[in-house]
Amino acid sequence: MELLLQTFLNGVLMAGVYALVATGLALSLGVVGIVNFAHGEFLMLGAYLSYLLFAFCGVDPLLSLGLAFLAAFLVGGLTYRGLIRPVLRAPELNQMLLTFGLSVFLQNLALLLFGADTRVVAPPYQAATLALGPFFLGAVPLGAFLLSLALLLALHAFLTRAPLGLAMRAVAQNRLASGLLGIEAEGVYLLTFGLSAALAGVAGVMLSVMLYASPTVGFLFTLKSFAIVALAGLGNLKGVLPAALVLALAEALVSTYVPGGGGLVEAVFFLVLFLALVGRAWRGA
Amino acid sequence: MRGVFAFLLLFALLPFLPLGVWRAFLLDVGLFVLLFTALALSWDLVARTGQLSLAHGAFFGLGAYGTGLLLPHVGTLPALALGALLAGLGALLLGSVTLRLHGLYFAIASLAFSEVLRTLALKLPFTGGPIGLPVPPPFGGGLPLAGYYLAFAVLALAVALSLWAEKSPFRLAQAACRQSEAVARVLGVRVVRVKLLSLFLGSLVAGLSGGVYAMKALFLSPYEAFSLARAVEALVIPIFGGLYTTLGPLLGGVVLVGLEQALRLWIQEGYLVVYGALLVLAILFLPKGLLGLLGGRRG
Repeated sequence: MELLLQTFLNGVLMAGVYALVATGLALSLGVVGIVNFAHGEFLMLGAYLSYLLFAFCGVDPLLSLGLAFLAAFLVGGLTYRGLIRPVLRAPELNQMLLTFGLSVFLQNLALLLFGADTRVVAPPYQAATLALGPFFLGAVPLGAFLLSLALLLALHAFLTRAPLGLAMRAVAQNRLASGLLGIEAEGVYLLTFGLSAALAGVAGVMLSVMLYASPTVGFLFTLKSFAIVALAGLGNLKGVLPAALVLALAEALVSTYVPGGGGLVEAVFFLVLFLALVGRAWRGA
Repeated sequence: MRGVFAFLLLFALLPFLPLGVWRAFLLDVGLFVLLFTALALSWDLVARTGQLSLAHGAFFGLGAYGTGLLLPHVGTLPALALGALLAGLGALLLGSVTLRLHGLYFAIASLAFSEVLRTLALKLPFTGGPIGLPVPPPFGGGLPLAGYYLAFAVLALAVALSLWAEKSPFRLAQAACRQSEAVARVLGVRVVRVKLLSLFLGSLVAGLSGGVYAMKALFLSPYEAFSLARAVEALVIPIFGGLYTTLGPLLGGVVLVGLEQALRLWIQEGYLVVYGALLVLAILFLPKGLLGLLGGRRG
């Protein structure tokens, strides 16, 4: 029983970061309408930024969080301007090929620059744990969970209160009608894509401490985020958090209870994705 | 059309040309050109219905492992056929669920499919896991050119399928699916069936080329057989050469597989950076590929 509860706790803590990354993906998909296979590469960017700042300047990852947000926002905005905007009206196949090509390019660029080794950021509090009765909570996963939750709440407030956030939702619903109301879709797209990248960048900093930075760290998160978004339903931001919880709990259960589950954990997201799609095909969506 | 036959003729005669000291090297490169061009054509066959398959590396790997595992028991040609069938079954499993949905679901699921198969190949008890799987050469190794001509046969099959799809009414059904599914439905095209058939045929060819690859490489590892690099090659070649044509992938295959041999010597790991950049640049500036540059005629 204690093992089960501890497993659940671990799963819940992981769900926060998953939801953060997947929300970014859902934003670019829902508002801009782009399937961004390179989403995880923004995460990788944040992770390497955190690693480089820590290794060479001794910057604490807590400080890197803000820097990574800004850097990823900038890179996301530039990506939108330079690469995404020219294909916005192209066939969907071309759009997906473009972001997939970008993902392959960035992954292998990182491989050339940093090698295939995994790099861990190890601040003094990395291994700290909190005892909660018979259970143990890692300080870093707990912090990452709370921070992700705070960011998601802030995003929610932004999308429901701020004029700019309302504009984003309007453009997502109907580009023509929002244009008639005087909303510049172009600026909204740029901002949304930057924000989407920035969320991934922040998550990357957290993962550089919880997990590691490596050229392929982002790729797996792209796939898991797609599984989460497929489960939640396209453009459904509110569904992302429960869907992330489902995936994270399933992974935690497999890693604890399936013998030799360590490697199979990386297959759980596919099962979730496949079942979500089977359900969708069943309903004829 | 004439270009396609000239291409096939050149590769059919390659072993008999006076190549001197370069013969062994050129035949090796030629074999990989044949295999990866066949893979590229099989990807293009699926792309013609507007679907982005990122699972061609997985079909290739399924064919390779299927052939490699069966070869010691049933002989060369049955093993190849069964390996291809295994890839086809995988494609049907993947496609029957996802091809009913919006195109992006298929793209995502196909990418996830190839990732998960690598995990399985690492974990399943009979695949040799991370250590790998040794594969005997074709026909007991008695015929030195067997591998080359098997690869040629796979390419010939891919070309035949591609030409058939280009010349028959199937082309119209595929184009209708690509341009607008709703319109295609109204016109009486069975959209899901056309997409599924294209994927099935494509995966058979991809599986065959994987099987021949296994017998050439003599050794399979999950990281190599199910590598994302295969899927990337399968799609960069047609895009670079010219989408939705038969000649385009043939041209792209010669140029890019040749380039890859050089890149691998030059920058080894991470050579895919060039492919990623090519892909982005081709989409932005060269949407019709090399053929478009050479004044191709298709619209």
